[in-house]
Amino acid sequence: MGTVSILDGLRRKLVADSVASGRRADGRALDEVRELTVEPGVIPKAEGSARVRLGRTEVVTGVKVNPDRPFPDTGDRGTFICTAEIPPLAHPDAEAGPPSEAVIELARVVDRGIRESHMLDMSQLVIKRDVSVIGVFTDNAVIDNGGNLFDACSYASVAAILSCKMPVWEMGEDAPRLVEGQSRDPPIATVPVSVTMGRIGEHIIVDPSLEEWMCLDARLTITTNSEGNICALQKGGLDGFTPEQLNSCAETAISVGARVRPRLEAARQAR
Amino acid sequence: MTHQGMPRTVMPGDTITREARRAGDNVVLVGDTLVSSAVGLVSVSDDTVSVIPLSGKYMPRADDLVVGMVISHTSQAWELDINAPYVGFLLATDVFGRDFASHADELTSKLALGDLVAARVANFDRTRDPLITIDDRDLGKIDSGELVKIAPGKVSSLIGRQGSMIQAIETATDAAITIGQNGWVVVSCDSADGLLRAKRAVSAIEQGAHSQGLMDRVKSALARGGD
Amino acid sequence: MGGRDTDMVLLDANGIRCDGRRIDEPRRIMIKAGVLHNANGSAYIEFGDNKIVAGVFGPRDVHPKHQSNAETGILRVRYHMQPYSVTERKRPAPSRREIEISKVIKEALLPAVMLERFPRTAVDVFVEILQADGGSRCAALDAAAVALADAGIPMRDMVSACAAGKVADTIVLDINNEEDQAGQADMPVAIMPNSGKVTLLQLDGVLTRDEYRRCIETGIAGCKIVYDIQKRALAERHFSGAGQ
Repeated sequence: MGTVSILDGLRRKLVADSVASGRRADGRALDEVRELTVEPGVIPKAEGSARVRLGRTEVVTGVKVNPDRPFPDTGDRGTFICTAEIPPLAHPDAEAGPPSEAVIELARVVDRGIRESHMLDMSQLVIKRDVSVIGVFTDNAVIDNGGNLFDACSYASVAAILSCKMPVWEMGEDAPRLVEGQSRDPPIATVPVSVTMGRIGEHIIVDPSLEEWMCLDARLTITTNSEGNICALQKGGLDGFTPEQLNSCAETAISVGARVRPRLEAARQAR
Repeated sequence: MTHQGMPRTVMPGDTITREARRAGDNVVLVGDTLVSSAVGLVSVSDDTVSVIPLSGKYMPRADDLVVGMVISHTSQAWELDINAPYVGFLLATDVFGRDFASHADELTSKLALGDLVAARVANFDRTRDPLITIDDRDLGKIDSGELVKIAPGKVSSLIGRQGSMIQAIETATDAAITIGQNGWVVVSCDSADGLLRAKRAVSAIEQGAHSQGLMDRVKSALARGGD
Repeated sequence: MGGRDTDMVLLDANGIRCDGRRIDEPRRIMIKAGVLHNANGSAYIEFGDNKIVAGVFGPRDVHPKHQSNAETGILRVRYHMQPYSVTERKRPAPSRREIEISKVIKEALLPAVMLERFPRTAVDVFVEILQADGGSRCAALDAAAVALADAGIPMRDMVSACAAGKVADTIVLDINNEEDQAGQADMPVAIMPNSGKVTLLQLDGVLTRDEYRRCIETGIAGCKIVYDIQKRALAERHFSGAGQ
């Protein structure tokens, strides 16, 4: 069902020709990220939150922190769940109803980048071992789809987690009890940064806009941690990359990641 | 142009006048009052009051020139996005001629997905989707240029009185500009600087169609060099 | 709505409410039109602590086709809350409450939109609640009406909404979350401000006949305050000198 938007042929050619010339249709260099704004604390009812604008893409993310039951085999760790939604107001192609394959991939890639980087030290999110732990729910809502939702949702999630003020619980008779008037900082171990790159012909571009996204042959999302190590990957699209391209993508992800990281880290100040 | 006793800009539900006039486009008669049904500019000609809307989709009218984009096709026709509530249909016979045979003639050999065409609305009556034709001089596939989208209500500002606005832009930039009544405009120019200035002038009209002194704003958009 | 016992003073001796407002004073309202790039029309509203965005698409083809009507266009409304919009995390799937609110918002807008001009099409209104506070259905409706006008959907009138209610035995305008929890009645009202017709009316709580009459009057007065703010938002978007 639904619609699938088409980019007009003249624009498609312009996007490809611009990339080949080294200066993209919107004037950016090939490794340039669009204008990024990060507003932490926009949803005071959530323990952490952020609105991120990446070019024309806008994401609002909230973090809820609640006591949770641990998984049977990891009673010494808190739980982390990350979801993503593209509500139908974000784009005419987005539909209400059960999440599509693409939306599920989006949520899982954002989740993986944060989880595998060990951004949160989950061992510090235990109320009582094997009985009660702290659950961190990160819900991403794409308000406006201007392309590259992977990075926009990842930045919004990371900023929302960094902005968190976490309640404190202690174990009561049989259930955790909120300790009134106390809060703590989230146990942050590293700050992951997702960098999505696309290939158009032989050229690799960083942070594709929506019209570029519609012209990609293949894409690759690389998440790096504060040490500059690679902690999560996702290749997508209809075609592939050469090993040389993958190597240069890794270098790009590390250097672009290092430029973006301080922008996300500033969200700590919203606590 | 302001008309005595009438507001210049209106919104849905606003009273325009209680004078005895005919209700034109985007105006409804409520009791003895002419009321706007759109965000737009009041326009009076003879005894008819209408509102030029500043947003919204294009409502097809027979004989209008439009710019459309191929979004799909069947074995008999292409479907065109013409920025309207309805998809436009361009019949294969219109392009291939009377001898069109759906088993032999491949539609994509003439027009592919994403292709832009300059076309004319052949007929439309709301009970069926609009029929589109490209069978005329100066109509057909558009091979070069850039698509710029403006609100269909602002097309008359882009054209200007007796074409004065569009002529001013084309003369100043050497650009060729195809204007669809549906608000889709293709700007084509051999020089990058001319293209940039022409697109900037079209944008200035999109943003300021309501303002007095529009020509001055467009002139300033045309004067600035590419940067 | 029981008028539960509470320590909170809902209305003090000077007629000042728990958040410092007078009885006829609405919370802070801010509306911005044209906030989304892909929608045909859109609006963002902050109404008290409500933060809501509305997007309108259409008139456009109807999918699934069987919903299509040969005589007129159809209006579809989806009111949806983000999981983080309320204190306790909400499951993402639409609840019965959200489905009912979607329906009453649709029926509040229908008398104003002129869909008969667009047979066989749909106009879709999508509302996302980013943060919920008391009166979110009225705020959602206010944003939806601005988004419809921003999208150029023909409307014979605007639609403006605001709640009234009964708190500490007094009829007050625009009740907030605390008043909703502890107060005696909550009455969301929407009107078409020029024709004066009421297009949304609900009530939780108990009112005398006289209170009922005054509550509607108070709600209508609130709608008129909202209407001015809606018009300012549309004027800023479409008539401001500089454009974007």
